[in-house]
Amino acid sequence: MMQRLIRGMRRALGLHHPGRNLEVWTDDVFIVSYPKSGNTWTRFLIANLLHPKEPVNFGNIDRLIPELAGLTKRQLERVPRPRIMKSHEYFDARFRKVIYIVRDPRDVVVSQFHFFRKRRRIADDYSIEQFVSRFVAGATSDYGSWSDNVASWLATRQNSPSFLLLRYEDMLARTGEELTRVASFLGVRATPDLLAQAVERCSADQMRKLEGTNATAMVVKDMRQDIPFVRAAKSGGWRTELPEPAIAELEARWGHLMTYLGYELLSPARTTNSDSRFVETILNGPSR
Amino acid sequence: MIYGIRRVLKYALGRDIAGRTLAVRPDDTFIVSYPRSGNTWTRFLVANLLHPGEQVTFANIERLIPDAEAQSSRYMKRIPGPRLIKSHQYFDHRYPKVLYIVRDPRDVGASYYNFSRKYRHIEDNCPLERYIGDFVHGRLSSSPWGTWAENVGTWMAARNGRPTFLLVRYEDLIADTPAELEKVARFFGVDASPGRLRQAVENSSADQLRELEKREGGEWVTTKNKRSDIPFIGSAMAGKWKSVLPESAVVEIESAWGHIMTQLGYQLATRTAESERTQLADTAVIGKQVE
Repeated sequence: MMQRLIRGMRRALGLHHPGRNLEVWTDDVFIVSYPKSGNTWTRFLIANLLHPKEPVNFGNIDRLIPELAGLTKRQLERVPRPRIMKSHEYFDARFRKVIYIVRDPRDVVVSQFHFFRKRRRIADDYSIEQFVSRFVAGATSDYGSWSDNVASWLATRQNSPSFLLLRYEDMLARTGEELTRVASFLGVRATPDLLAQAVERCSADQMRKLEGTNATAMVVKDMRQDIPFVRAAKSGGWRTELPEPAIAELEARWGHLMTYLGYELLSPARTTNSDSRFVETILNGPSR
Repeated sequence: MIYGIRRVLKYALGRDIAGRTLAVRPDDTFIVSYPRSGNTWTRFLVANLLHPGEQVTFANIERLIPDAEAQSSRYMKRIPGPRLIKSHQYFDHRYPKVLYIVRDPRDVGASYYNFSRKYRHIEDNCPLERYIGDFVHGRLSSSPWGTWAENVGTWMAARNGRPTFLLVRYEDLIADTPAELEKVARFFGVDASPGRLRQAVENSSADQLRELEKREGGEWVTTKNKRSDIPFIGSAMAGKWKSVLPESAVVEIESAWGHIMTQLGYQLATRTAESERTQLADTAVIGKQVE
């Protein structure tokens, strides 16, 4: 009772973190992804594009493109409109304009594994196989499983003009090109110089340097410093880091969705998921 | 300010509506559907099945299978586990076990129209065609549940095929109630004899529910203070849309959601709908990206 009274007061004063109960405005834009899918990098790219005069770092990123989960209601209300915010939420009907970043789940799980060690959420000797099983069950995240998150957005919004799907792998391979798509989606005029500058300021080397100088910033503070936040920044790391049974487990569960997104399976024959039929129907839309 | 204090107190006392902030427990089971899809009927069927000794009414249904969107956090907290909860939410990954009821969106739209008039959410003379347009494009201000396709699509895409998810079509429930209810009973782990099933079906008939609504509708949380000249219990049939919806409204629904409807076994009435969508899908970003 007392606890709820205090929480109630915090609510009335706007000091609570609304998170999923955020009051959404019609002109809000959301940069959404499952955790460890390149959201921070994309955020930096977009912020650099929108604020060319102010090089983005871990100290000012939360002002330029705030993270939904990190701000109180009052702070969120003070963000200049139109607000561009980062989020990891699975489908939320109120998010009207969404940039969704998807990444090969085999790389996501490797990245999350290292991130969990960094945050001391698992012991150093925790096996990656064990971690993959928890990951597949959706037990490593408050944002659903990887497929809950991805499929809930694709099933509802993939044909919508207010939804932009980005693959992290394409962003890596053709950063400028993909960023151009983002700019036109946001209605931002982007000259080749501006694009080049944004890309340059967000190179993996540059990002690592920024992490080194802003280690006290919100994103990375209170964590082990020997494991970096900005890690490999490449795709396909799973090929060397994931043991074969772990790959098989991931592909058996999510093979249909991975194939649909263009992630080639190592063992396609093993994919026997009973719900694939419906997911494929929704994803492929009415034409096929 | 007064409003603020009232809100603080309401929250402190746990009187705030649970809704999407409901504290979910690992042993909870949910009866989920889009509104106007047979959720209340299913609730009665299940409650009558689980409590054969107790006649289920609008007076005790909120205790037996509470409505998370109508009841307070405190009320929900006091229900002993394992709880059986009614909800209209689109996909929520915290729901451990879900019975999902789906209904032909053409019937849902037609039924929702009457419901919105009952709730005074729309003018009594709002044209049905305009209403269906708002229904399809997610412009119903009264509905925090997403569109029909968002609600059905998120649940199906994330959960269909899992042992913890059971999909029931309202139309199948109408066509062979005992057979579908038996599936539900098995899903809930209840051993139901044919006699018990039959009794639950009888006690939950549309006539029975209409009678109960007449007697208790004024007190039930869902229908209290709403227009009593439009009943909450609607036609209780499948295919009413054929005689109610104008053709343009049918086209609107089918061109937006035809692919999902087909997958669920709802036959489309228009072919134009199909070809329109083909063009749309061809220009879709994702279609180009992933070959």
